[in-house]
Amino acid sequence: MRLQGVDVAVIGAGPAGMAAAIRAKEAGAQRVLLVERQEELGGLLHQCIHNGFGLLYFGEDLTGPEYAKRFIDRVYDLGVETLLETTVLEISPERGIRVINKGGLQSFRPKAVVLAMGCRERTRDQLGIPGGRPAGIFTAGTAQRLVNVEGLLPGRRVVILGSGDVGMIMARRLTLEGARVEAVVEILPYVGGLIRNEVQCLHDFDIPLLLEHTVTEVHGERHLEGVTVAKVDPHRRPIPGTEIQIECDTLLLSVGLIPENELSRRAGVELDPLTGGPTVDQWRETTVPGVFAGGNVLHVHDLVDNCSWEAELAAEGAVRFAKGERTEGREICLRPGRNVRYVVPQRIRGEGPVTLFLRVREMEEGMRVRVGDLWQKRFRVVKPSEQIKVELSPKDLRRLPDGVAEIRVECEVAG
Amino acid sequence: MAWLQTEVLIIGGGVLGAAVARELSRYRVEAALLEREPDLGWGSTKANMCIVCQGADALEFRPEYKRSRLVWESIPMMEPLCRELGVPFKRIGELTLIRNNEERAKYQKLKTRAEKVGFTGLRFVGRDELFAMEPHVSREAVGALYNPDIAVVDPVRLTIALAESARRNGVEVHLETEVLGIERSGEEFLVETNRGEVRCRFIVNAAGVYVDRVARFLNADEFVLYPVKGFIGILDKDLGHLVSHEIHMRPEAPGEMNIVVPSVYGNLFFGVVLRLGRKGDNSTTKEMADTALRNLRKVLPGVSEGDVIHTFAGFMMFRNWELGWHECVVEASRKVPRFVNVSIGYPGVSAAPATAKEVLRLLEKEGLRLQEDPSFEPRLEAPPSFVDLPPEEQQSLIERDPRYGHVVCRCETVTEGEIVEAIRRGANTLDGVKFRTRAGMGRCQGGYCTPRVIKILARELGIPETEVTKKGKGSELLPLRSKELLG
Ligand SMILES: Cc1cc2nc3c(=O)[nH]c(=O)nc-3n(C[C@H](O)[C@H](O)[C@H](O)COP(=O)(O)OP(=O)(O)OC[C@H]3O[C@@H](n4cnc5c(N)ncnc54)[C@H](O)[C@@H]3O)c2cc1C
Ligand SMILES: Cc1cc2nc3c(=O)[nH]c(=O)nc-3n(C[C@H](O)[C@H](O)[C@H](O)COP(=O)(O)OP(=O)(O)OC[C@H]3O[C@@H](n4cnc5c(N)ncnc54)[C@H](O)[C@@H]3O)c2cc1C
Repeated sequence: MRLQGVDVAVIGAGPAGMAAAIRAKEAGAQRVLLVERQEELGGLLHQCIHNGFGLLYFGEDLTGPEYAKRFIDRVYDLGVETLLETTVLEISPERGIRVINKGGLQSFRPKAVVLAMGCRERTRDQLGIPGGRPAGIFTAGTAQRLVNVEGLLPGRRVVILGSGDVGMIMARRLTLEGARVEAVVEILPYVGGLIRNEVQCLHDFDIPLLLEHTVTEVHGERHLEGVTVAKVDPHRRPIPGTEIQIECDTLLLSVGLIPENELSRRAGVELDPLTGGPTVDQWRETTVPGVFAGGNVLHVHDLVDNCSWEAELAAEGAVRFAKGERTEGREICLRPGRNVRYVVPQRIRGEGPVTLFLRVREMEEGMRVRVGDLWQKRFRVVKPSEQIKVELSPKDLRRLPDGVAEIRVECEVAG
Repeated sequence: MAWLQTEVLIIGGGVLGAAVARELSRYRVEAALLEREPDLGWGSTKANMCIVCQGADALEFRPEYKRSRLVWESIPMMEPLCRELGVPFKRIGELTLIRNNEERAKYQKLKTRAEKVGFTGLRFVGRDELFAMEPHVSREAVGALYNPDIAVVDPVRLTIALAESARRNGVEVHLETEVLGIERSGEEFLVETNRGEVRCRFIVNAAGVYVDRVARFLNADEFVLYPVKGFIGILDKDLGHLVSHEIHMRPEAPGEMNIVVPSVYGNLFFGVVLRLGRKGDNSTTKEMADTALRNLRKVLPGVSEGDVIHTFAGFMMFRNWELGWHECVVEASRKVPRFVNVSIGYPGVSAAPATAKEVLRLLEKEGLRLQEDPSFEPRLEAPPSFVDLPPEEQQSLIERDPRYGHVVCRCETVTEGEIVEAIRRGANTLDGVKFRTRAGMGRCQGGYCTPRVIKILARELGIPETEVTKKGKGSELLPLRSKELLG
């Protein structure tokens, strides 16, 4: 394939990348190239055989593969060019892209780039769980792929650490496969994932949920034989004397996702330590001109639908950039304030509209979330596991007094 | 009938056993090496800081000990050996941080002693020079003792290459073969293994942590060894730039070393927390992890828990733990003729080249006839390491075999071609592939590549995926098929 003369190159073909490629084409880009290292388009969606996708985007309840199918069809209908089984090895600060596949190595320089590489899972070592190094310990997402795509099961008796969505979904999946899930162990006083998953995946299947507990040690040299679980104090430290032993042959970890930004970092893209993703403006343009980002590579979303939407914003920005349009105007920073863990985008430039995502640090009840004086809304309860999406119109933005350089995004007690 | 008949039997495929095998393969002598694990170098050799003493850093070893002699004699041999075998070797230099006058005096003494023994190259660097060399180390340091010679290797790859070279030069190498007992019968040893009986005339016992257990089969354990567990952590590659030399800080407590060292692959290793332990229990503890991290932060204050991508522990055998100092066991048994025990403790990797030669001298003394083999081929072609090649070579590799164009491990950029080659050369487990290719060693710790490597292993070995193991029998990764539990 001739790679010279590409207008918009999209890296990664998950729900974000596919949506970006489609929108870029729709917005008038001549040549859009979608690069994906796996054998097929779809990213993580293929292993998500459960439902719950597309409720917002399509107003329908779809499985992961069904959701993917709609985008895949559209990708091909619109004539997006695809490079499968192709890994991007490097993106240079000048947008030079180096790819590798079975045909060899190639380099090219598109007019604009959308990063959509998704995320990876936190591992046992990042939690520092001591013990041996036996077989039988997997991250939940890896197990999901093994079970749902490869048709293989890790074991019969399972403990799941972390109540992220993937962990809860795997608890149900493995139960349906005939394995026994001994417990889902969560260090916080509430589950990490969506309430609907807590109900549908754990309660409906009578799977024990141990809140304010953690795994303090794994046992076994060759194969996992069991784990030690302890209760934690309010500072999340294990309380001595509360240890219990659970026999199991499998431990799944669902303890957080990390945006996959190795390529971005080497391209010189500035990363936000709060999200693990690039810092961007409302078009999701990073600090490297012409490089945009959307989906989980930018910040971890709870819902695929939002990944797709956000990536469309990035695609629109990329097309404008490819056409030579530049956003002028002063830059205003969005800064997380009280009980706000992060805000994306981190800066606004020029005109709206602005789609903003934020996450709180701690669960609180009776709260008001406000974006400076531009926007506010009351929430009965705010939770770290539930992303808050805010749409600011161009009119909202015009209300900003001149000379404002910073807007605080805060979660305050509703009076 | 014996399953195997040979002149010299080497028990243990760690760096020392493999080095002895390679050394023997220079001569016209029948030899075999037995290793109980599915691959080479999985004992102490894989739980390692990867440092090779290459000069005055050997100064901490007291001249009167055999162990020191073996380390010193190995110094000029290590780099050429690695070059011959295509094993990564990198000279990085060492900075021993100095925080006060007391430390300065202590290192001045060591420096003087090293110079007396004949080492050169050591010098003190001041604050400014230190921070120019290493801008991220603790500002507590007022200077450092600089030793430009110290180097790092990949001990497991070295072991595999030594054994591979030995095999190509005629030594039999048998994996998953455990020695269960030894008897004497006239001039011969009858060695019981899980595969059958081995008959041989000479034995080199290089069983690492189990060197005493193997010696005990014949009451040839004329030494006492204490198993000392060492804890090591590895930091994310992104922090690889934090230091470029091995940094050493005087430990706060006995039983600790405080070292940060960049590996040949560019990520940082830190440790070592030492504790007396129970053999075979390679588990880490929170206490060890916390201590190691606390020590690390004294050297590199900016590092946090989340930067640690992997931790592990391994054993070394110390002859006298109480003194914090130990002699090695590289000697022919006084009670059993033609039986040589080999255990270095620390630093066995650094000492391997000279130790192998020493073992051959001992075998000769015990009556082994060594006649040089003119057909000995010292060179070994290393398996290609895709990321390290220049683009033109990468391209031609892909053209020869398109599987080199398929990246399987994204963190370390390992291709399918390399994995297939590793399996062809003997890897038959997930860990085997990992140690030979680095697939799964990066920041995602196999999250992405594990399902893919399992598939490739099953395909190349011609076994079902349910039989693929992490590290040999009993460590099956995915023992069941979907729906199998539903009856
Ligand atoms: C294990 C897991 C399970 C999940 N389950 C659910 C769920 O059940 N319901 C739900 O709503 N959300 C779920 N999520 C969240 C949701 O799936 C993700 O938010 C969504 O898939 C992210 O979309 P994405 O396009 O950003 O990333 P991905 O879907 O991960 O797509 C990224 C793509 O980029 C490719 N790529 C990465 N690097 C390169 C490179 N260098 N070169 C070429 N290609 C590259 C990858 O192969 C991948 O196909 C899950 C997330 C994870 C991690
Ligand atoms: C934490 C730590 C850090 C270290 N750092 C360094 C360093 O930076 N530099 C350095 O030079 N040294 C270092 N060392 C020391 C070094 O690792 C050892 O000295 C060296 O690896 C010992 O090699 P070996 O071949 O004797 O033992 P091993 O590698 O343990 O090999 C012995 C082999 O024998 C096999 N075996 C045992 N019993 C049987 C049996 N019955 N039948 C068949 N096979 C058997 C085992 O499976 C094993 O593979 C370190 C050690 C530790 C623990």
